[in-house]
Amino acid sequence: MKPLLLARQVSYGPARNPRLIDIDLQLAAGDRLALLGTNGAGKSTLLQLLAGILAPAGGEVRVLGQRLDEAAPALRRHIGFLPQRVPAYTELSVTENLQWAGRLRGLRQRALQTAIERVLQALQLDKVRARLAGSLSQGMLQRLGLAQAVLHEPDILILDEPTAGLDPLQTEQIRELLGTLSANCSLILATHLLDDVQRLCDRVILLDGGRKAAEHTVTADTDLLAHFRRPMSDAGAGA
Amino acid sequence: MIGAIALHESRRLRAGMMFWLLLAFGQLIIAWLSFAQLETFAGIAPQLKASGATLGAMDLVITPTFNSLVLLLLLCAPLLAMGSLAGEVHSGRIALWLSSPVSGTQIVLGKALGLWLATLPLLLSGVLTLAALGFAADLDWPRFALAATSLLLFGLWLGCITLFLSSLFDHPAAALAASYGILLFLWLLDSLSGTDAPWYWFALLPHIEPSLSGLLRSQDIVFFVATAGAALLLSSYALARRRGDA
Repeated sequence: MKPLLLARQVSYGPARNPRLIDIDLQLAAGDRLALLGTNGAGKSTLLQLLAGILAPAGGEVRVLGQRLDEAAPALRRHIGFLPQRVPAYTELSVTENLQWAGRLRGLRQRALQTAIERVLQALQLDKVRARLAGSLSQGMLQRLGLAQAVLHEPDILILDEPTAGLDPLQTEQIRELLGTLSANCSLILATHLLDDVQRLCDRVILLDGGRKAAEHTVTADTDLLAHFRRPMSDAGAGA
Repeated sequence: MIGAIALHESRRLRAGMMFWLLLAFGQLIIAWLSFAQLETFAGIAPQLKASGATLGAMDLVITPTFNSLVLLLLLCAPLLAMGSLAGEVHSGRIALWLSSPVSGTQIVLGKALGLWLATLPLLLSGVLTLAALGFAADLDWPRFALAATSLLLFGLWLGCITLFLSSLFDHPAAALAASYGILLFLWLLDSLSGTDAPWYWFALLPHIEPSLSGLLRSQDIVFFVATAGAALLLSSYALARRRGDA
């Protein structure tokens, strides 16, 4: 069976100073994968490559067996992506932002309206549907970003630090929502927070200096901090 | 999808304060210019009639006001276009566009059309204000229609050029500065160089003024189509470079 998402020998950046080097990664249906690493390790760049925003300098990214590039933009319909900064138009309302995100992903009229109602309920945005995105709190804005990412019911949900900048209560609420939302799709998540990995993911890839340093399965008693401290020496080892 | 992008771009611009300020400012300037030209025309009309001159409202009111509208557009279009691509990059919303199943060409064409849609209210208000003169004076309607169509198409050309300049930068202010710099240069190019200079062909005024006076020339059509086409192609290329494809 073909993997949902496959990255093979993916590199990015100029040859003299690459930001990512020979990354291999595979995601099957239902997988929940975390990318963990220090600032500048290449997590966000890798996520943008997997979401089709950037094109790799070397190697390839495949979605459902097909190469993800400009020649096959329709493949991006299988992906929902939430970048670090929520891509919302501050001068438009929550509903208008969702309408546009849905149109961009090919949803039309009735299907779009149904999808908007579904995510407004699921992400508890119903009460702020008419508010301008620019007037939302950080927690609500993050929910709007999540709603944009899951609106078209993607097979793969890619999230770049979804709990960054949130207070503990908002962080907990977003984690609960992510747990629910990722029940119907595969999840890739970049984070600094070991709690996010432990609570939401069953596998973790450690990135160090643009390279894949190690990959581990995650269980309740996995000592992520130990893995994080010595990723290079653990390369290839299981949890 | 191009139509949907165009409507979204126009909707986004209409949701901002800048659009309404420019529209109000534009209306004020158009009204003032029209009445100033009209007053001058009314003052000299008896002398023109007595001398048997063929000059009418079209030559002395409409064409000069259309010329002023061109300058007004050159001032307003960069303000509307500066956020088109540079603003998407600056705000991080470019991720929404590039992760969607929409090609770079569709994005560029949709945004250029959207910018044109956003300038239409300003253009149409100017054209309708001047067309209202037809109630009081004899207008050469075919000439008027040609001049008005040229002005509307000039708005589309400006959308393409300013979108290209917006695609080159990560910050809207940089795109605005570059747009004003380039457009001012093209505006002044004919007075900075002789007609024999090879770059004279790029001067803006010698291409737009004939059509506003009612003269349609193939060389002007070639200029506008070629430069707009090149701007759209280069914008697509800039978007592909941002992705790392080019």
